[in-house]
Amino acid sequence: MIKKVLLLNIIIMVALVLIGCWNARELNALGIALIMGLDFENDKVLLTAEVIEPVPAREKSSMGKGTTVTYVQGIGDNLFDAFRDITLKFDRKLYIAHNKVIIFGEEFAKKSSINDIDLLVRDHEQRETAYLLIAKDSKAYEVMGIAAGLEEIPGNYVLELVENFKYNPKAINIKLAEYLKYFYDMGRQPVLGIIEKKEKKQINKIEKPSSNKEYQLSIVGAAAFNKEELVGYLNGVETKGFNFIMGRVKTGIVTFPTPNTSVDGSSTPTPSVESDISLKRPTKIHMSTMDIVKLKTKKDVEIIDNNIILKVKVKLRCSLEEVAGDIDISKEENIKEVEKACSEEIKRGVGNTLLKAQKEFKSDIFGFGSVFHRKYPKEWEKIKGNWNDIFAEADFQIEVKTDVIRTGLINTPISRVKGK
Amino acid sequence: MDNFKNINKISSYQVILLVIIYRVIIAFTYLPIMNTPPGNQDIWITLLLSIPYTIILGLPMLYLSNKFNDLTIIEYTEKILGKVIGKIIGLYYTGFLLMFCIVIVATLVEILNTTMFIETPTWATTIIMLLTCIYISYKGLEPIARGAEIFVPFILGVILLFMVLGYNNYDFTVLLPVLRDSTFKELNIGALDRSIKFSDIIILAMITPNLKRKKDLNKIYIKSIIYSVIIVLLLAITTQAALGIEYAKHTIFPFFTFNRLIDLFDFIQRIDVLSVVAWITGNVGKIAGYLYFTTVAFSQTINRQKNQPYIIPIAIIILIATVLIKDRRSLLGIGEVLQGTILVTSTITIFVIPLFTLIVYFFRRKSLK
Repeated sequence: MIKKVLLLNIIIMVALVLIGCWNARELNALGIALIMGLDFENDKVLLTAEVIEPVPAREKSSMGKGTTVTYVQGIGDNLFDAFRDITLKFDRKLYIAHNKVIIFGEEFAKKSSINDIDLLVRDHEQRETAYLLIAKDSKAYEVMGIAAGLEEIPGNYVLELVENFKYNPKAINIKLAEYLKYFYDMGRQPVLGIIEKKEKKQINKIEKPSSNKEYQLSIVGAAAFNKEELVGYLNGVETKGFNFIMGRVKTGIVTFPTPNTSVDGSSTPTPSVESDISLKRPTKIHMSTMDIVKLKTKKDVEIIDNNIILKVKVKLRCSLEEVAGDIDISKEENIKEVEKACSEEIKRGVGNTLLKAQKEFKSDIFGFGSVFHRKYPKEWEKIKGNWNDIFAEADFQIEVKTDVIRTGLINTPISRVKGK
Repeated sequence: MDNFKNINKISSYQVILLVIIYRVIIAFTYLPIMNTPPGNQDIWITLLLSIPYTIILGLPMLYLSNKFNDLTIIEYTEKILGKVIGKIIGLYYTGFLLMFCIVIVATLVEILNTTMFIETPTWATTIIMLLTCIYISYKGLEPIARGAEIFVPFILGVILLFMVLGYNNYDFTVLLPVLRDSTFKELNIGALDRSIKFSDIIILAMITPNLKRKKDLNKIYIKSIIYSVIIVLLLAITTQAALGIEYAKHTIFPFFTFNRLIDLFDFIQRIDVLSVVAWITGNVGKIAGYLYFTTVAFSQTINRQKNQPYIIPIAIIILIATVLIKDRRSLLGIGEVLQGTILVTSTITIFVIPLFTLIVYFFRRKSLK
């Protein structure tokens, strides 16, 4: 009998716990954040969060664009304090497990980014897969709340922009875990993506008679760090160069001056279509474009006569997407010229990026230090303390090899008459 | 239930699975190797180097278990060292196993309270865990071993799955240069540390009488060491390659943190919950096993045939100790005290006492016959 009573008590006790009410957090009690911005204001941490408004679809359709989210702000001595400050103004506790983008205001990034984001790594709710962005020349909250795309939710608009990195290497997408990984690496300094608010050209204004300026966001460029210190920005072309050096380019385009090798002797001109179109061609430099199919980069460091040489070897396979100018790419020697021109363009871009990191940032954002460490571990022990200074003075060699593997559906630019 | 030795006969395969999972679950949880000297990209070498150390350290215990393969370590220690010293050492072994039980329960509670049940009090989480473990322990060694045949492949499968799915997070260059940043001394200290802390090997000395094929003992010993080291090595390498050396050292649950990074094809994401399920399964299996062996050690020390009457009282002790420890301090967050305690007690348990017993055995072997 005692056993049965005891067992019954245990079952009741366990049932109370196991029905799932203990840690229950109902949807109507959560403030689901999609994007967060961190700023400093009067030396305090200012947290801005975009919280989704769970509105039924029927009601949502009658509401205007951008009404599906609301913005909340909290201020405190540190990030957690700022989080809890929100509970005094907003009726729900923030839930950041779905937060996919964290934006640092420029001032926040300059003063101290790493010290004030301890909570984001210590607490289990924030995922390490969230993207980190720097709001260039502005506060984080100033770039929030803009949805200039088809996405209704501004947070998702930013997320889609960042994920579009795969189509264009002029931007960069770095996640929280990746940032931390390189923050601790003595041989490589972190780089983060940036976000900027830009005025949007107003088209079709009659239908939208708003006198207010319209804005869109741009993620072109990258922010370079020396440990936790923001040392400068790379523009779009330099960021592309950075991505080439790091081998981060999945797809993307290279636009380069079309080589001026007017040779087409293999075809006979067609009399009926002979015209003077080629004579009217302006003298400007024509630009052609390659689409990258596959890219491989190898970084190396060598010590030659006590001088450190940084080496970058880029190998890419491309598809010729656009040719403007005077060239017949059906000829092998012309294709080689095109490949050479493309390689030269990449070389120039990579070189400019390297120079900027060396002379302006004095920060090894490429990880040559790690390569040096792997190759010359003994020497690394002696110089690791001032690697950035050594990197800034090192010579570099860039080698680029382009292979055109596709040329599209035509072999001669449309402005040329075949054989002429 | 009658004498557990006669009823609970288990196969070599089951024992290997048990020893492997008892070790792997620690690595799966908090990968202590990350912060073991040299604490850099060479820790996989430390792990490999720990194999011979582990074998050597366990030799006295293995020799005695082979000699007295019908007795557990508690029984043959008493037989060799005499009643008084034997009982004192028996109580020490009971205490050691009990300590491990408490540490495992506290660790599991810490995982659950950190990742899922933030507001649930320690006692509630501990009771839920212990109730399951009490039930399994009551059923005896054979169900524990048979259960291992199901849950160990599941856990190892989950580990393998995460290793495969995390492929796009790997940067194996972080594992270079090899053997350039570590000294021979650091590697050996690390290997020795790992070997000593592989105290789960004591389970083998408790299980020997229950083995179906007792002559397999040496094979089981070697196989369980090598297999477990290989799995821990894979866990360490993949975690370092995904998180980097230093970030991996910063995290309390390194492999779990790596699991959280998995994001494939826009739909394979947030699957770390599978990791938590495997964690709970593995830890419950380990707690149940240790609870069983603690009660067996205790019952043998006080010369009792049955271990079941002591399961609930010992579980209550574990509950009280866990609540007292967990409500004061994070066990894994401030791991220095824990690691120090494990190092000292494990050295005594798996090497010092068996070596002393072996020396006495050589002096008394004629009289023991």
